[in-house]
Formats: sequence, C-alpha cells, structure tokens
Amino acid sequence: MAVDADVVRLRRGDLNALSELITRYQNRLYRYLLRIVRQPAEAEDLFQQTWLRVVEKIRSFDANRNFDAWLFTLARNLAIDHLRRIRPESLDEPLANSWHSENVADRISSKDHTPLDHALAAERRTEISEAMAGLPMIYREVLTLRFEDEMKIEEIAQVTAVPVSTAKSRLRRSLEQLRDALEARYPGGTWQ
Amino acid sequence: MNEHDKIRELLALAAADALTSAEEEQVAEHVRSCIACSNELEAWRPIASELRRLPTPQPSSWLVQATLARAEAKFTEQAEHDWNHRLMIIVVAFAWLLTIASWAVFHVVSGRFERLLGPQFSHTWISFAAFTALEWLAGGVAAVMLAIRQRGERRLV
Repeated sequence: MAVDADVVRLRRGDLNALSELITRYQNRLYRYLLRIVRQPAEAEDLFQQTWLRVVEKIRSFDANRNFDAWLFTLARNLAIDHLRRIRPESLDEPLANSWHSENVADRISSKDHTPLDHALAAERRTEISEAMAGLPMIYREVLTLRFEDEMKIEEIAQVTAVPVSTAKSRLRRSLEQLRDALEARYPGGTWQ
Repeated sequence: MNEHDKIRELLALAAADALTSAEEEQVAEHVRSCIACSNELEAWRPIASELRRLPTPQPSSWLVQATLARAEAKFTEQAEHDWNHRLMIIVVAFAWLLTIASWAVFHVVSGRFERLLGPQFSHTWISFAAFTALEWLAGGVAAVMLAIRQRGERRLV
C-alpha cells in the first residue's frame, strides 16, 4: 500500500497537510456522517469532532496503514457514541421520510442528458435515497461505504470492526431490505 | 441448500461487485444456464447502479473553514503541549543533575568533601537536604507563577 504523503507530513507537524487532507476528504466524510446520523447539523458537528480527533491521534497512526479506513473508523466511533447518547433507538430502528438534506439540483446528475432524463433520474434517486434513509443505521452505513465511497469489503469490515464474512452478509441484507422497501413503495418495480 | 439457492444469495453481491473472483465465475457460469437467476441479477443491477450515482451532499464552505481553524488551533495547542512536556523533562533532568553536582560542590566549598563517608555524614546530609528542598521549592514557585501567567494570557486570547 502506498504511503500517503500528506499523512506523513501531518505526522511531522505540517499544518498545510492538514488543510490538504480536510479538503480531500470533506465530501466523503460529510456524506458518510450524514448517512449515519441523517441530520445535517449533527453531521456538521461530528465532521469537526472527527478532524479534531485526527489531530489528537495522528501521532499514534501508522502511516503504512490505510488512512481512509482509520479516518472513517474515527468518524464512525464518534457518530455511534453520539447516537447512543442522543437517540439510542436510532441505531436499530429505521426512520422513514427523514431524508431532507438534498435539494432537487443535487439530485440531478450531469450524465442525464434530456430534461426528461433529468427528471426521471432525479426521481429514481429520490426514491432510492428515501428508501435508504429508512433502513437501520448498520445497513445505511454499509451501503454508503460500498456504493458511494467504493470501499472494498475488506475495508468495510475494517471500518465497521466486523469480520469480512459479516460485512458481506450485512451488505447483502442491506440490499435486500432496500429492494423490499422500494418494492413496497412502488409495487411491480415501477420505481425503475 | 442446493447450487441454485446458493447462487441466488450471491446475486445482490454480484451487482454490488462484492464477490471474490471464484464466486464471480460461479455466478457467471450459473446465470448462463438459469434464466430465473439471470433475470434476478438484472433486477439487482439498476439498484446498484442508482446507489453508485446518488448525489453527494456537500459540506458548506463555512464548515470546512471552521473545521480547519479549529483543527489548526488544536494542532498548535498540542504541539505546544508536547514541547512543554519535553521541556519539563529536560528541566527536571537538569534539576537533578544540578542537585547532584551541587552536593559535591557544597562539600568541596565547605572543605568537608573527605568527610562524606565520615562520622559527620548525617550533619552534611541534613545541610544538603535543606539546600535541595530550597532549590525545589524555588523551582515549584516559578512553575506555578509561569502557569498562572500562561492561563491569563490564554484568557486574553
């Protein structure tokens, strides 16, 4: 595994490296936290706490390890502690219709060409987002790590602190639950 | 569980590109001859595809700037703390060195160096202990005054 030069520089005390890392990971980390806690204000607070924790712990981080997994593990631990403290029930229970963090412009991808394509694609993503937001935390988490952060199963297992086989079965169950939720909302596969 | 059921359980993971190469081969071989599994795999693909294309919520630039400012302040504070810690170790080591050296100097100056191991050792020892205690007390007072001053400066910042 290649050693991340910015991480090495940060360990040596280079503040510019910290700025580089925050800029590089800002979207991924914020998205991950938002998928877990579902509330933008809480995700923002956890985003800041995660970077403060990075500063605190960076000296003890082995630069030869995977920084992505380490960063997301720190974020996850903080998010879970937060949820346990604020809304312990939210760790297991789904919360329907709570996906308010995106506006319509966010949902439209540049890969969709015609206005009709735009509208249909936006609609599909809204449906998927809402169905995903209704899943329990561990399923939302594994979906975002696999599909949005494009982590390998081994990395997901590392972040979530479970064996690879558990991460795999969790991913399968999350997909099954997502599909069930979509089919319940849109019988006959009309969401497609 | 027969082969068909086993493969069926892998289809969602196949759409998620989360299979090992051996499992991928197994699935590919099976779906070539099983229409039901082939259809099922096709049903998973749009879900996986849409999940990959979900929009990424962006943190506000304010959040990034605020985080950077807080993290930099913490970083500086931590670096200062580490430096103070190292300085403290050096000062303590120096104080011990000075104490030990001053013991010998004390005896040389008072002309009683030879009596170190002699009968008046206890008297020498008491003098030395008093001298050492005075040294450490002065050091302690200086450290407390320094800490109070630093705290005051932090409040002003």
